[in-house]
Amino acid sequence: MSTEAKTAEAGSYLASRPVTLALLSALAVVSFLLVTGLSRVYRGQQHSLAATWYARGVSDLQANRFAPAASEFRTALRYSPDEYSYQLRLAEALLGLKRIPEAYAYLSTLWERQPDNGTVSLLLARIAVANGKKDEALRFYHNAIYATWPRDEEVRRRETRLDLIEYLLRVNSRTQAQSELLALAANLHDQPDQQTHLGQLLLKAQDYEHALAAFRVSLKSPYRSQADAAGAGAAAFKLGRYPLAQRYLQEAVAANPKDTESAAMLKMTGLVLQMDPFRSQTSLTQRNRLVAQAFSAAGARLTACAARGLASSGPLQPLIEKWTKLKPQITQYRLLRNPDLVEEAMDLAFSVENQTSGWCAAPTESDAALLLIARLHEGS
Amino acid sequence: MGTAPDPPTTLPVQPEESVLLTSSAARTSSAVLKLVFQEERFFLILSVFIGVFAGLAVVCFRFAIDWCRIYLLGSAAVVSPLRLLLAPTIAGLVIAVLVIHVFPLVRGSGVNQTKAALYIYNGYIPLRTAVGKFITAALAIGSGQSLGPEDPSLQIGASLASVLGRRMRLSRERMRLIAPVGAAAGLAAAFNAPISAVLFVIEEVIGRWSAGILGSVVLSAVSSVVVMRWFLGSEPLFRIPVVQLHRPSELIAYFILGIVGALASVAFASGVTTLRPRLRDLPEWTQYLQPPLAGLLIGFIGLLGAPQVMGAGYEYIDQAMHGQFTWQFLGILAGLKIITTLLSFVSGTPGGMFAPTLFIGAMLGAAVGGVEHALLPSLNWSPGTYALVGMGVLFAGFLRAPMTSVFMALEVSGNYSIIVPVLVANTFAYLICRGLQPSAIFDVLSRQDGVDLPSMEEQREESILRVEDAMEPPPAVVPDDHDLLAKAAQVVDEAPGNVCLIRLNPVGWGAITKQEIASLMEQGKGGLSLGSRLASGPIPYLHPDHSLDMALRYIDRWPVLPVVSRADFSRLEGVITRQKVLKKYGHFTS
Repeated sequence: MSTEAKTAEAGSYLASRPVTLALLSALAVVSFLLVTGLSRVYRGQQHSLAATWYARGVSDLQANRFAPAASEFRTALRYSPDEYSYQLRLAEALLGLKRIPEAYAYLSTLWERQPDNGTVSLLLARIAVANGKKDEALRFYHNAIYATWPRDEEVRRRETRLDLIEYLLRVNSRTQAQSELLALAANLHDQPDQQTHLGQLLLKAQDYEHALAAFRVSLKSPYRSQADAAGAGAAAFKLGRYPLAQRYLQEAVAANPKDTESAAMLKMTGLVLQMDPFRSQTSLTQRNRLVAQAFSAAGARLTACAARGLASSGPLQPLIEKWTKLKPQITQYRLLRNPDLVEEAMDLAFSVENQTSGWCAAPTESDAALLLIARLHEGS
Repeated sequence: MGTAPDPPTTLPVQPEESVLLTSSAARTSSAVLKLVFQEERFFLILSVFIGVFAGLAVVCFRFAIDWCRIYLLGSAAVVSPLRLLLAPTIAGLVIAVLVIHVFPLVRGSGVNQTKAALYIYNGYIPLRTAVGKFITAALAIGSGQSLGPEDPSLQIGASLASVLGRRMRLSRERMRLIAPVGAAAGLAAAFNAPISAVLFVIEEVIGRWSAGILGSVVLSAVSSVVVMRWFLGSEPLFRIPVVQLHRPSELIAYFILGIVGALASVAFASGVTTLRPRLRDLPEWTQYLQPPLAGLLIGFIGLLGAPQVMGAGYEYIDQAMHGQFTWQFLGILAGLKIITTLLSFVSGTPGGMFAPTLFIGAMLGAAVGGVEHALLPSLNWSPGTYALVGMGVLFAGFLRAPMTSVFMALEVSGNYSIIVPVLVANTFAYLICRGLQPSAIFDVLSRQDGVDLPSMEEQREESILRVEDAMEPPPAVVPDDHDLLAKAAQVVDEAPGNVCLIRLNPVGWGAITKQEIASLMEQGKGGLSLGSRLASGPIPYLHPDHSLDMALRYIDRWPVLPVVSRADFSRLEGVITRQKVLKKYGHFTS
């Protein structure tokens, strides 16, 4: 073959390539369009199947049928594997089934996708709680509190914080619980039910001052409840404001005689008020009678503890000696003549009650009342 | 070499065009076309198209598998018992008829068929094979046969590439390479992992690296993955949990996983290589029954409580990674998957073994991790890590693709902290498997099919003869080109092959034979410098690490060649002679 012919042949061959590429491009476009059409049919079917199974799953989840719900959400995810809500619901169903590692796996993936999702953070916090990981739980709870929520953002945040507070109270982190409660209180309205719940949590957190304030807000409302009176009474009782406690507790017991806790507190309040010789507007005669009663009660306590064999165990022995030495002096006449004897007798009675409270058997009601009176007048 | 290859000689020449091209304008345009569309560049452009078409085909293949599964097994995650038994059985019967009567070439491994196209059939894979593989594999996987979509995808890609290459009338050299290019595209789209696909094709099919091959394979793989992601999204096959190695001592646990994985790989491979020829040797009529019977048994296993082993099983790998099965159940699933995959594959049902291998590896890995954690509770245990490493272990041990196995684990996990456990476990698994089973599964399968395809593993392990193996020590005195002829006459008798090597100034080497020296001396030219008397000019030189094949290229023309240092070309390290080279090859072959 001549050179010219070879050149012509090669040229023809090469000239055909742009045309071929153009044809290939056209074929690719057509194929792309065809597959796009096919893809739409496929996607449509997949979405339809996913939605059907998801709806069934939601229905089962709402009825607490976790096992079928999990299976249905899994089926839904088979057809729509990236769907965030399906994965979230599956995680909820798995949590319901106590399959925590599986739920955690889904939730951690979801959290990586949307770290500001409140629901996911809350569920992760609950998993951390179940796993006993306090730091992680706190981190996720705080994430959830400051996260975005699809609707009722304020309510969901409040509920999340309440969840956190209850957790903190369960693990005896009272200081952290108190600070969370203060943050919660700042964001609450004066609605009685909210204030009641807040007060009860504050009571649990031993923040009695704020608890009393919360119950009082609620008690001012026309929708005040027995729980508010009981809570306020309990808070006042813990604060040593016995007259106030008596008023609230009487109201609570009157509203609900079955409230044994309030009734017991009311009884104790009554005893404290009856037995306290240092109450204002108490006559000298009455005071001296109460001092003598308290002294006798302390002696009975010492005798009871000694009978249990604790006398020889050290700390009680000086008290017994002191009580025995002082007893002849505790008469109405001497108490009247010597006001310092009142202080000395009550100090000894308080010492006896304080020291025996940790050693001896459960105190009688009188002993318990004396103990409360001792704490009330501590340092005074 | 930098020059465009000649066009194929079979091109039809049209007279009209020939006339037109004789003009200078036509010559210019021809030159431009030649520049732009020279075959090397055209092949790269074509690789992109191959990737696009392979990606589209794989997308359709995925749709087909899903549709088959929905219509055969139902849309629910929990399949009814009747469907569990009937779907794989009836589909198996249909597949058997199709394979025997319509698509006889779809049996066997797509990897081997691609290799056969590369080494035997000049890149030819019929389109019918792709169509057949598409239909039968979709039916098989969709009906619950324990097979994966990767190998069929690879073959569909290779077949489409072959068709395109034939239409483009590529040269024979390019045609041979086109099937692997398509295979990489198909595998990349099926796996959603372009790096692993490229590595696998280079490691297991082509067996060599060059810029041209790598460029084409990468372009096709990337374009197919882009297309696949366009339609199916970019989510990876598995949701990989956070992977962490807390203490170096934990590597012992992965070492144990490597051993267990290797034993499982050997058992799996032995099952395939033993059962496959036996079932094929059964009477022909049994070929109709083998796929349905395999389907029935697999359905029965599903009915007994392990439907996870049906189909490709990617969703269950995902669940295993996230600790959703106990280690006991994971172990059972690994064992059952080996059995079901054996049943499916040896019965001649079309489909791949990549997905089952990953499934077995993941289940086994998580199970081993679970056992280790039960024995040593202090061990940091994440089922995802063990499952991921287990997948790599089986890939290295069963498919015998060690590099791909490592990169696959990295690419699938997207976490480089996994690399140390993967390297440890995969290396041990690979070495143990090589020790227990010298031939790789693909090599055994091709030999069972009566084809002796080159084994990439054997090629990698092949010992190479180097120049230093046949090299003689250098002569004591090596004259320079400014030395006199008389000096060469003094040393030539001691020189290897009676050829005196001469160091040229400033660089290079020359040679003069004893006869030439004698002739010049007789002419009384002993006082002349050697440089002025070199008849043949500079001669080639070699380095000690060159392969002996390189020496063969020159040794016929220059029977004695200098072997010089790579750092100093004027320093003679040795001499290589024709006799020594041939003697070395003689020893090697004997």
